[in-house]
Amino acid sequence: MRFIFITVLKELKRRFNDPGALISSIMIPFAIGFLIASVMGGGGGSIKAGLLVTDLDDSFISQGILSALGQDQVADMVTLEKISLDEGERRINEGDGSAHLVIPAGFGQAWLDREEIALQLTVNPSQYVSPRLIREMLESLLDLGDYLHKVFGDELKIISQSVDSDGLVGISTADFSANITDKVSGIADLVFPPLMEVEDVTPEPEGLSVNMGLLMFPGILIMAAFFAANGQSSNFWTEKEKGTLGRWVASPNAFSAFWVAQWFTAMALTALVAAPIMLMGFFYFDISFEKYLSALAWLGLTGPVLFALLSLIQVLAPSRKSGSMISTLLMFPLLMVGGSFFPTETMPKFISSIAQYTPNGRVIEPLKAYLIGEHGASGMFAELWGILLVTLVLVLLTGSLSARKALA
Amino acid sequence: MIEVRDLQKSYGDLIAVDRISFRGKAGSIFGLLGPNGAGKSTCISCLSGLLKPTAGSVRVGGFDMSTEAIKAKSSLGIVPQELAIYEDLSARDNLAFWGAAYGLKGDKLQQRVGHVLNRIGLADRASDLPKTYSGGMKRRLNFGCGLVHEPAILLLDEPTVGVDPQSREHLFELVREEKAKGTCVLYTTHYMEEAEKLCDELAIIDHGKIIATGTLEALRAEFGGNDIIQLSGSFDQPKVEQAVTELHGEVLALATDTLMIAIRDGARSLPSVLQSISATGAEIHHARLSEPNLESLFLKLTGKDLRA
Repeated sequence: MRFIFITVLKELKRRFNDPGALISSIMIPFAIGFLIASVMGGGGGSIKAGLLVTDLDDSFISQGILSALGQDQVADMVTLEKISLDEGERRINEGDGSAHLVIPAGFGQAWLDREEIALQLTVNPSQYVSPRLIREMLESLLDLGDYLHKVFGDELKIISQSVDSDGLVGISTADFSANITDKVSGIADLVFPPLMEVEDVTPEPEGLSVNMGLLMFPGILIMAAFFAANGQSSNFWTEKEKGTLGRWVASPNAFSAFWVAQWFTAMALTALVAAPIMLMGFFYFDISFEKYLSALAWLGLTGPVLFALLSLIQVLAPSRKSGSMISTLLMFPLLMVGGSFFPTETMPKFISSIAQYTPNGRVIEPLKAYLIGEHGASGMFAELWGILLVTLVLVLLTGSLSARKALA
Repeated sequence: MIEVRDLQKSYGDLIAVDRISFRGKAGSIFGLLGPNGAGKSTCISCLSGLLKPTAGSVRVGGFDMSTEAIKAKSSLGIVPQELAIYEDLSARDNLAFWGAAYGLKGDKLQQRVGHVLNRIGLADRASDLPKTYSGGMKRRLNFGCGLVHEPAILLLDEPTVGVDPQSREHLFELVREEKAKGTCVLYTTHYMEEAEKLCDELAIIDHGKIIATGTLEALRAEFGGNDIIQLSGSFDQPKVEQAVTELHGEVLALATDTLMIAIRDGARSLPSVLQSISATGAEIHHARLSEPNLESLFLKLTGKDLRA
């Protein structure tokens, strides 16, 4: 164990003696992320949620809800699609759409009568941001409806009863208008207050404003891990060609220790390269610094799964040149599909569903959910052991396959 | 300290090392001399545990390399043919790392690093990266990495390849110092001068086989006290062979433009040799008389030039 530690220190010293390469590892992902974010319209670009709606009530009130969800500003964020109950259930089970809203029969009447009734919202668990957006919008809409009911409850009942009639039921249009005017006048002082300067002393909300830049941020971090992993994985060839690998094999140390040391070095390098990028990102996106160390630890521990994968490729390759070529050929599609270049939320469904099976995707998504507040550190670290186990298996397999090659 | 018995290493049909046996003793230098591709490095690789022998056994420091590899390796120091150093680590860090690889730590490690830096003449450049060194300095560092942990057995695989004469002499000094300390040194080379200068015992290896072994004196005795006469010019091969036989000499090498013969009392025989060879119609441009050396021995044994 002591010699593994010494080897890790030696490897880090080597990297520090080549500061140009180290700085490049930090700057390249940062530059690529900046370019992609710029091409996609900057960090403030928004995502659009797909809401499937089944209106079993088909009342004046339910139509009002749908109409409110179709208003301009809301429509920028949500695509509404009316659909039957069966199809809605089927599609949301298949992961098609961000959420499925069912307005039950009798909803409008129950709401007017202030009886207890619930809207049913089923969200897509594979998406983090869009369902949250829809839930918050619906909650706001229902709050607004509650206030409307308190002020204009009687009038809304009259309108509801008069939907199928030619005129208003039980009241003249003039009296109805007068009632409305009286109520508006009565609350005018409250809803139309005199002009005044207001100092907003409300503390900043804990939740983050989720935008395209923030969704891309974990991908940029994993890109840094990827570059660190790529450099470290080709170290096998460097040591073999220089003869230092031969010296290692001739020393009284187990050969597997070489690979364990490389793995630990990849951990340290990933954390080292990601730390400054993460720092900048936390400032820029105003992420709570309480999350900094956990996020860095997550990336340092799980990011080297990429190192393990690339090392296996290097060891299987017949030469350094072909190893580098295969690694590069694999690296870019993985970065793309795994959500490093583009957030999975912006991808077509069939591609985003592949992301969860890529190693970088497995690292990015929990980190993203943690950073945007979808779940806490424990939720993120729940997946740690699985990733570490996969990494360990890959490292041991690489060690076993490389033992012969080291001497060839 | 080193005991090699019937060592064989094959790659498919190719036999790189063919059942060779030898012993290296403490406080002596054992040389493996042979041309490039003779099997010297393969032999060193088997001795250091880098390659698994196809057959035979290797015992290092009393331990079998195939069954007690870690113990066997602990007593070994390796100086490979290539420059097996980290060019992006200072000389001090290189030595410290390889010392730690053999279990040195703390003050002992620092002491050994400082000592070796002085011995290899790099103390004043200890903090510089080897990529700023000359070839000779890198060779010396490569050498230092092999002996920083004070190994009982030192394997040197052509350590002077590409080294300037000054650094070469420096390396020879270091090897002799190791021998004086009681280290068992195994030295491979294709330079006869090095083998003659350094080695107490030698094995001449060609095509994976040991074709002669013993001390330098014992190997010279293979010539039975004969001297070597080398001629250059143009020769009629059958007639020259006949003339040499009549002179009671032995043809070691004969081509249209060169002739090497072994003959008793060379200084006195030289005039009659020149006369007899000229009488065959040969044209002699140059003649050289010498004592038997490893080059002539190799020629005698294999019929080819070691430098080829």
